[in-house]
Amino acid sequence: MANIVNAASRRDVLKISALTAVGGILGASRAGAAPKQMTMMHESSFIPAYDAYFKNTLAPAYEKATGIKIVYETVSVGSIQTRDTTVAETGTGPEMAQMAFNWPFLFDQKLVDVTDIAKIIGDKAGGWHANSAEAVVVNGKWKAIPFGNIGQLMNYRMDWFEEVGVKSFPETWAELLEAGIKLKKAGHPFGFELGHGFGDNHGWLYPLLWSFGAREVDKDGKTVAIDSAETAAAIDFCREFFQKTMFEDVLGWTDVSNNKAFLSEQISCTNNAESILYVAKRDFPDIGKVTGQAQNPKGPSGERFHMLNPWTHGIFTHTPDVQAAKDFMVWLMDPKQVAGWYDVADSYYGPFLHAYDDASFWHKEPRNLPYRDSMANSHLPGWPAPISRPQSESVAKYVVVDMFAKACAGKSTKEVIADASAQLKQIFKSA
Amino acid sequence: MVGPPILFLCALVGYPFLYGIWLSLEDRPVAHAGTFVGLANFVADAHDPVFWRVTINTFVYTFFATILKMVGGLGLALVMNQNFRGKNLIRALMLLPFIVPTVLSTIAWMWMLDPGFSVINWLLKYFGLANPGPSWLGNPTLAMISLIIVNVWRGLPFYGITLLAGLQTISPDLYEAATIDGASTWHRFIYVTLPLLKPVIFIVTMFSIIFTFADFQLVYVLTRGGPANATHLFATYAFDIAMGGGQLGMGASVALAMLPPLALIIIAMSIYMKPNKS
Repeated sequence: MANIVNAASRRDVLKISALTAVGGILGASRAGAAPKQMTMMHESSFIPAYDAYFKNTLAPAYEKATGIKIVYETVSVGSIQTRDTTVAETGTGPEMAQMAFNWPFLFDQKLVDVTDIAKIIGDKAGGWHANSAEAVVVNGKWKAIPFGNIGQLMNYRMDWFEEVGVKSFPETWAELLEAGIKLKKAGHPFGFELGHGFGDNHGWLYPLLWSFGAREVDKDGKTVAIDSAETAAAIDFCREFFQKTMFEDVLGWTDVSNNKAFLSEQISCTNNAESILYVAKRDFPDIGKVTGQAQNPKGPSGERFHMLNPWTHGIFTHTPDVQAAKDFMVWLMDPKQVAGWYDVADSYYGPFLHAYDDASFWHKEPRNLPYRDSMANSHLPGWPAPISRPQSESVAKYVVVDMFAKACAGKSTKEVIADASAQLKQIFKSA
Repeated sequence: MVGPPILFLCALVGYPFLYGIWLSLEDRPVAHAGTFVGLANFVADAHDPVFWRVTINTFVYTFFATILKMVGGLGLALVMNQNFRGKNLIRALMLLPFIVPTVLSTIAWMWMLDPGFSVINWLLKYFGLANPGPSWLGNPTLAMISLIIVNVWRGLPFYGITLLAGLQTISPDLYEAATIDGASTWHRFIYVTLPLLKPVIFIVTMFSIIFTFADFQLVYVLTRGGPANATHLFATYAFDIAMGGGQLGMGASVALAMLPPLALIIIAMSIYMKPNKS
């Protein structure tokens, strides 16, 4: 992947612009002179090389090719949504920003329609994964360019699993429960977040619900479907899974807790992004050697699911020169540039473009391959309903997470389903 | 001369306050135009079981944290008002919890309350009192108690230093006169110290109630309102709805729900603390 950016010459950039302009795809041409500077706002990555690559390689390369300086503005972890909200509300600030989850839907009126460049980018890199549209297509228009999926999968201690006779990661939730019972007895409990974190809770509880055949809301996005026998079965399983494999503290965990517990060898299995293995290899090599990663188990429905956790890039409508921002986005997502950016992050941001399905960065660490393979059955909370405001409210109120958490804390299945159903009916009343 | 302060108040207090009220009366998704819906957001709050849980949490949290800070702060001030070696150093050190940024000190507490790393649990285990130790943030009741303890730890110096300043304004002559009249230490405290400290206690308590009622950082760092909403307060719940859910109008209505109880508490306290009543 050496110096891939340098291969992008001014001619390449001009070619991209010319192609798009000639094809009439990009619509309006630039009214005045090109801007001197544009800003891309991003949440700072826990992989320092990732941010450094943009600042030190991509931005200078673009400036060299076009004369336009790209400022890479990073914000602390957890505060990007607040910053995006401020920019969208005030109409001032960075021209482009990283989004996550369903934010392109929340901010759709303040984001430029990028359907045209999405097609160009997709065509150039083997097309988009089908589920990339889940998070960015609003009323038929692409409101952001999908960048990468931060998959949430199973992280486990291969050595401890083997010690209790489990040679490969269990295929089903029932088998995982069986393994967990043995591991807890051996002093190695599981630790799955059931508290109010950002994502590690939704990350396994929605897939668990789906794999039991249950749904929060129907496909129409209006009919609350949580009150079902499938939900009851998922809750009963979760309660047993919690009681027999975990400890009470997980009920209060936030997103840092399971990383901390895994890396301090308190737990033998959790659900997380690739960050646990990444940090283990860097800071705790002995743990890194025995850490395995696997796709989520299958449920009684015979299917397995994962949480879609997309990072996307949007252009705000207040951008003075929308065309310049689109040109930059096309340049950035060209394999000549973006492949290097993906590469430095060691596949942490799984690309939504098929051209990278077998990219070399996936093979640097074969244990990361399940993250690639999980893309096909990854969805946003609320699936199979389309993204919507009520769905955002449901996630913000932790309706599904708390339904499971309350059951684990001792409430009856009937009671927690009734609570969740009543809450969801109130939330989806306006849908 | 009055103009600038009034303008300042209007810009930084009046406008946000009135805008907050306006927002609460709108169906106002983030980055979208709002639609006036009257009191619909408040009606929706009233039908939301989590809102009522949050209301109870906020009152419990504020009541116990304020009482403990008041009693503890008064004790601290009385001790600090004595003459002993290193008095000035101790007084300065006492302010540390208040000076350290809340997020930082709360992260330290997060480690202390983590069962795997907790120094508290280690001690309990060491002395054979519990094994394993309690789940401070995983158990709903303990999580609330933990938050109250951290809030008290952080707020105690504010009470202590302010009441100490109040104690130092009390003339020693009054204590001498009371002693000559045969008053015991307890009587001097009840009949001299407490009545003269009342205005200071009133002001500090008012501030403390407001800060505690609207607390955000501590909860957001430690539990984010979990487990299962057991520690959600008005501010954290309003933030989740407004920022996480993108429902600015509904978020504003939850935040504004703090206003009536706070106003009532302040009015009630003002009436109770009137000098003529004492």
